[in-house]
Amino acid sequence: MEQVEELKGRVKSLIVRQLKLEIDPATIKDDAPLFGDDPSGLGLDSIDALELVLGIEKEFGIKVQDEEVGVKAFASVDALCEFVRSKAA
Amino acid sequence: MTPVPEPLPHAYPFRFVERTVEKRGPAEGRVRALVTGNGRRTEAGESLPPLTLVEVVAQAALLLEGGDPGIGRTGFLAGVSDFEFHREAGSGDLLDVDVRIAGVLGPIVRFEGTVTDGEGRRVCSGAVTVKKGSPA
Repeated sequence: MEQVEELKGRVKSLIVRQLKLEIDPATIKDDAPLFGDDPSGLGLDSIDALELVLGIEKEFGIKVQDEEVGVKAFASVDALCEFVRSKAA
Repeated sequence: MTPVPEPLPHAYPFRFVERTVEKRGPAEGRVRALVTGNGRRTEAGESLPPLTLVEVVAQAALLLEGGDPGIGRTGFLAGVSDFEFHREAGSGDLLDVDVRIAGVLGPIVRFEGTVTDGEGRRVCSGAVTVKKGSPA
Protein backbone atom coordinates (compact mmCIF):
# COMPACT_ATOMS: atom_id res chain seq x y z
CA MET A 1 0.00 0.00 0.00
CA GLU A 2 1.22 3.42 -0.94
CA GLN A 3 2.47 5.56 1.95
CA VAL A 4 -0.09 8.09 3.22
CA GLU A 5 2.01 11.20 2.62
CA GLU A 6 2.99 10.01 -0.84
CA LEU A 7 -0.65 9.40 -1.69
CA LYS A 8 -1.64 12.86 -0.42
CA GLY A 9 1.00 14.44 -2.64
CA ARG A 10 -0.23 12.48 -5.61
CA VAL A 11 -3.84 13.46 -4.96
CA LYS A 12 -2.96 17.14 -4.54
CA SER A 13 -0.98 17.14 -7.78
CA LEU A 14 -3.90 15.46 -9.51
CA ILE A 15 -6.33 18.13 -8.25
CA VAL A 16 -4.10 20.95 -9.52
CA ARG A 17 -3.41 19.26 -12.85
CA GLN A 18 -6.96 18.09 -13.57
CA LEU A 19 -8.58 21.41 -12.68
CA LYS A 20 -5.76 23.49 -14.18
CA LEU A 21 -5.36 25.43 -10.93
CA GLU A 22 -2.56 27.94 -10.73
CA ILE A 23 -1.42 27.04 -7.24
CA ASP A 24 1.32 24.96 -5.66
CA PRO A 25 -0.15 21.56 -4.75
CA ALA A 26 1.67 21.71 -1.42
CA THR A 27 -0.45 24.70 -0.36
CA ILE A 28 -3.62 22.58 -0.31
CA LYS A 29 -4.38 21.65 3.30
CA ASP A 30 -5.12 18.01 4.00
CA ASP A 31 -8.38 18.69 5.83
CA ALA A 32 -9.60 21.81 4.03
CA PRO A 33 -12.95 21.46 2.27
CA LEU A 34 -12.53 21.14 -1.47
CA PHE A 35 -16.05 22.40 -2.22
CA GLY A 36 -18.24 25.24 -1.02
CA ASP A 37 -17.60 28.77 0.15
CA ASP A 38 -15.34 28.06 3.10
CA PRO A 39 -12.43 30.52 2.67
CA SER A 40 -9.96 27.90 3.85
CA GLY A 41 -10.96 25.58 1.03
CA LEU A 42 -10.54 25.51 -2.73
CA GLY A 43 -14.13 26.60 -3.52
CA LEU A 44 -14.66 23.95 -6.16
CA ASP A 45 -18.10 23.48 -7.73
CA SER A 46 -20.10 20.57 -9.14
CA ILE A 47 -18.51 20.90 -12.58
CA ASP A 48 -15.10 20.55 -10.95
CA ALA A 49 -16.40 17.47 -9.12
CA LEU A 50 -16.95 15.63 -12.38
CA GLU A 51 -13.48 16.62 -13.58
CA LEU A 52 -12.06 15.23 -10.35
CA VAL A 53 -14.05 12.00 -10.68
CA LEU A 54 -12.64 11.49 -14.18
CA GLY A 55 -9.13 12.29 -12.97
CA ILE A 56 -9.36 9.89 -10.00
CA GLU A 57 -10.71 7.12 -12.19
CA LYS A 58 -7.88 7.56 -14.69
CA GLU A 59 -5.07 8.04 -12.16
CA PHE A 60 -6.01 5.24 -9.77
CA GLY A 61 -8.05 2.94 -11.98
CA ILE A 62 -11.03 2.99 -9.64
CA LYS A 63 -14.67 3.72 -10.36
CA VAL A 64 -16.64 6.39 -8.52
CA GLN A 65 -20.13 4.95 -8.81
CA ASP A 66 -22.47 7.23 -7.02
CA GLU A 67 -22.97 10.94 -6.67
CA GLU A 68 -23.44 10.73 -2.91
CA VAL A 69 -20.31 8.66 -2.46
CA GLY A 70 -18.52 11.06 -4.77
CA VAL A 71 -19.49 14.12 -2.78
CA LYS A 72 -18.60 12.47 0.53
CA ALA A 73 -15.33 11.07 -0.74
CA PHE A 74 -14.35 14.39 -2.26
CA ALA A 75 -14.89 16.46 0.88
CA SER A 76 -11.15 17.01 1.45
CA VAL A 77 -7.77 15.62 0.47
CA ASP A 78 -7.88 13.42 3.57
CA ALA A 79 -11.30 12.05 2.58
CA LEU A 80 -10.20 11.52 -0.98
CA CYS A 81 -7.11 9.60 0.11
CA GLU A 82 -9.22 7.46 2.44
CA PHE A 83 -11.58 6.73 -0.46
CA VAL A 84 -8.72 5.77 -2.78
CA ARG A 85 -7.14 3.56 -0.12
CA SER A 86 -10.45 1.81 0.63
CA LYS A 87 -11.01 1.11 -3.05
CA ALA A 88 -7.47 -0.15 -3.52
CA ALA A 89 -7.60 -2.39 -0.43
CA MET B 1 -32.31 7.10 -40.72
CA THR B 2 -34.51 8.00 -37.78
CA PRO B 3 -36.16 11.41 -37.91
CA VAL B 4 -35.67 13.61 -34.89
CA PRO B 5 -38.78 12.95 -32.74
CA GLU B 6 -38.83 16.38 -31.22
CA PRO B 7 -36.85 19.53 -31.75
CA LEU B 8 -34.00 20.79 -29.70
CA PRO B 9 -34.69 24.02 -27.84
CA HIS B 10 -32.31 25.65 -30.30
CA ALA B 11 -33.73 27.36 -33.37
CA TYR B 12 -32.41 29.16 -36.44
CA PRO B 13 -29.82 30.67 -36.57
CA PHE B 14 -28.40 28.85 -33.54
CA ARG B 15 -29.39 25.29 -34.38
CA PHE B 16 -26.56 23.45 -36.11
CA VAL B 17 -27.50 19.76 -36.06
CA GLU B 18 -30.13 18.03 -38.18
CA ARG B 19 -30.90 14.55 -36.92
CA THR B 20 -29.74 11.38 -35.24
CA VAL B 21 -28.44 8.83 -37.74
CA GLU B 22 -27.26 6.18 -35.29
CA LYS B 23 -27.99 5.53 -31.63
CA ARG B 24 -25.45 3.31 -29.87
CA GLY B 25 -26.65 3.67 -26.30
CA PRO B 26 -27.89 6.26 -23.85
CA ALA B 27 -26.66 9.57 -25.22
CA GLU B 28 -24.18 7.90 -27.52
CA GLY B 29 -24.27 7.70 -31.26
CA ARG B 30 -23.96 9.75 -34.43
CA VAL B 31 -25.71 12.96 -35.37
CA ARG B 32 -25.65 14.64 -38.75
CA ALA B 33 -25.12 18.34 -39.27
CA LEU B 34 -25.37 20.30 -42.49
CA VAL B 35 -23.38 23.47 -42.82
CA THR B 36 -25.61 25.82 -44.73
CA GLY B 37 -24.70 29.03 -46.49
CA ASN B 38 -28.01 30.32 -45.23
CA GLY B 39 -26.73 30.48 -41.67
CA ARG B 40 -25.30 33.66 -40.28
CA ARG B 41 -22.16 31.80 -39.26
CA THR B 42 -21.27 30.87 -42.80
CA GLU B 43 -22.49 33.81 -44.83
CA ALA B 44 -20.22 34.88 -47.68
CA GLY B 45 -18.85 31.35 -47.90
CA GLU B 46 -16.90 31.50 -44.67
CA SER B 47 -16.01 28.44 -42.62
CA LEU B 48 -17.65 27.58 -39.34
CA PRO B 49 -15.76 29.27 -36.50
CA PRO B 50 -14.19 26.84 -34.00
CA LEU B 51 -16.55 28.00 -31.26
CA THR B 52 -19.52 27.05 -33.42
CA LEU B 53 -18.04 23.59 -33.93
CA VAL B 54 -17.95 23.25 -30.15
CA GLU B 55 -21.63 24.14 -30.10
CA VAL B 56 -22.25 21.53 -32.82
CA VAL B 57 -20.83 18.86 -30.50
CA ALA B 58 -22.88 20.17 -27.56
CA GLN B 59 -26.11 20.17 -29.57
CA ALA B 60 -25.39 16.67 -30.88
CA ALA B 61 -24.90 15.47 -27.30
CA LEU B 62 -28.14 17.09 -26.16
CA LEU B 63 -30.01 15.59 -29.10
CA LEU B 64 -28.75 12.09 -28.28
CA GLU B 65 -29.28 12.54 -24.55
CA GLY B 66 -32.99 12.96 -25.13
CA GLY B 67 -33.80 14.92 -22.03
CA ASP B 68 -36.46 14.41 -19.46
CA PRO B 69 -39.88 13.37 -20.88
CA GLY B 70 -41.56 15.93 -18.65
CA ILE B 71 -39.43 18.93 -19.41
CA GLY B 72 -37.84 18.02 -22.73
CA ARG B 73 -34.25 18.67 -23.65
CA THR B 74 -32.92 21.25 -21.28
CA GLY B 75 -29.37 21.82 -20.27
CA PHE B 76 -26.57 24.27 -20.65
CA LEU B 77 -22.99 24.13 -21.71
CA ALA B 78 -20.91 24.22 -18.56
CA GLY B 79 -17.44 23.46 -19.84
CA VAL B 80 -15.27 22.86 -22.89
CA SER B 81 -11.99 20.97 -22.89
CA ASP B 82 -9.36 19.28 -25.01
CA PHE B 83 -10.62 20.58 -28.35
CA GLU B 84 -8.42 20.14 -31.39
CA PHE B 85 -9.30 21.53 -34.79
CA HIS B 86 -7.94 19.79 -37.85
CA ARG B 87 -9.72 21.23 -40.88
CA GLU B 88 -12.32 23.79 -41.81
CA ALA B 89 -15.99 23.09 -42.48
CA GLY B 90 -17.83 25.41 -44.83
CA SER B 91 -21.25 25.77 -46.41
CA GLY B 92 -22.39 22.63 -48.19
CA ASP B 93 -20.40 20.31 -45.94
CA LEU B 94 -22.25 17.41 -44.38
CA LEU B 95 -20.79 16.61 -40.98
CA ASP B 96 -21.06 13.54 -38.79
CA VAL B 97 -20.78 14.09 -35.05
CA ASP B 98 -19.91 10.99 -33.02
CA VAL B 99 -20.63 11.37 -29.33
CA ARG B 100 -19.87 9.20 -26.31
CA ILE B 101 -20.29 9.73 -22.59
CA ALA B 102 -16.99 10.21 -20.78
CA GLY B 103 -18.41 10.69 -17.30
CA VAL B 104 -21.55 11.40 -15.27
CA LEU B 105 -22.01 12.92 -11.83
CA GLY B 106 -25.64 13.64 -10.99
CA PRO B 107 -26.98 16.13 -13.54
CA ILE B 108 -23.54 16.84 -14.96
CA VAL B 109 -22.42 14.90 -17.99
CA ARG B 110 -19.20 15.09 -19.93
CA PHE B 111 -19.47 14.12 -23.58
CA GLU B 112 -16.60 13.45 -25.95
CA GLY B 113 -17.30 14.29 -29.55
CA THR B 114 -15.58 13.87 -32.90
CA VAL B 115 -16.70 15.73 -36.00
CA THR B 116 -15.84 14.30 -39.41
CA ASP B 117 -16.68 15.57 -42.86
CA GLY B 118 -18.42 13.67 -45.66
CA GLU B 119 -15.17 12.00 -46.64
CA GLY B 120 -14.46 10.77 -43.14
CA ARG B 121 -11.76 13.33 -42.44
CA ARG B 122 -11.55 14.62 -38.91
CA VAL B 123 -12.71 18.22 -38.55
CA CYS B 124 -12.36 18.50 -34.78
CA SER B 125 -12.62 16.59 -31.54
CA GLY B 126 -13.02 17.51 -27.92
CA ALA B 127 -15.19 17.32 -24.84
CA VAL B 128 -18.12 19.35 -23.61
CA THR B 129 -19.56 19.30 -20.12
CA VAL B 130 -23.30 19.83 -19.92
CA LYS B 131 -25.42 20.40 -16.85
CA LYS B 132 -28.92 19.06 -17.36
CA GLY B 133 -31.83 21.25 -16.36
CA SER B 134 -32.07 25.01 -16.43
CA PRO B 135 -29.49 27.41 -15.04
CA ALA B 136 -30.68 28.29 -11.53
